[in-house]
Amino acid sequence: MSTISKTYETTFIVNASLDDAQVEAVIVRVQETITKNGGTIKAVNKWGRKRLAYAINKRTNGFYVNIEFEAPGTVLAHLERAYQLDEMVLRNLTIVLDRKALAARAAALAATPVEEKPAAAASTAGGREPLFTEEPKNA
Amino acid sequence: MFTPRRPRRDRDNQTPRKKRTCRFCDAKEVYIDYKDEKRLQRFVTEQGKIIPKRITGTCAKHQRQLVSAIKRARHLALLPFVSDAIR
Repeated sequence: MSTISKTYETTFIVNASLDDAQVEAVIVRVQETITKNGGTIKAVNKWGRKRLAYAINKRTNGFYVNIEFEAPGTVLAHLERAYQLDEMVLRNLTIVLDRKALAARAAALAATPVEEKPAAAASTAGGREPLFTEEPKNA
Repeated sequence: MFTPRRPRRDRDNQTPRKKRTCRFCDAKEVYIDYKDEKRLQRFVTEQGKIIPKRITGTCAKHQRQLVSAIKRARHLALLPFVSDAIR
């Protein structure tokens, strides 16, 4: 069976009163619902703790996470359900990235690497371990 | 045939209209991102209302995109529905 997959972008707000490990667990859970249902994750952006523009469930702060993924449409129902069941997720928004959005993104990427690369090199040179590395540690 | 010119009203003299252009067209913007709340804030009043395009000069095409971006940002609490001062 061949299915059409599209690029989606989902942003959700995690309860910021949790500690970092618990927030991480929520993010992993969301990622698993995507991958288990036939999606592939392209990027995970953690914006971190931010002040909400208005209170949601009497909370004024939230941990924002943005995940870009490619998946067939069937994943969305599962994802939506997972969000509903997860009490730690305050809000979520999933949108399709259309051609225009993808073009804008590619253009933004093409414009930034000059800035990004030295920054990445500096962070590794500074002795700080990057959060996510593709290579095994003892290579 | 001579048609007398309509006398100019004071208002016409006071505010010379500058031609406004769509900021997004000027910047050759193809996509307005809901995540860019700083940018969106400019197109929202202090109360949090969306400013009409007749004021900002945004073209119809970009205004439509802008509106959906603002609404998405509101859903994610990046922008207020109603600002604190009013509440």
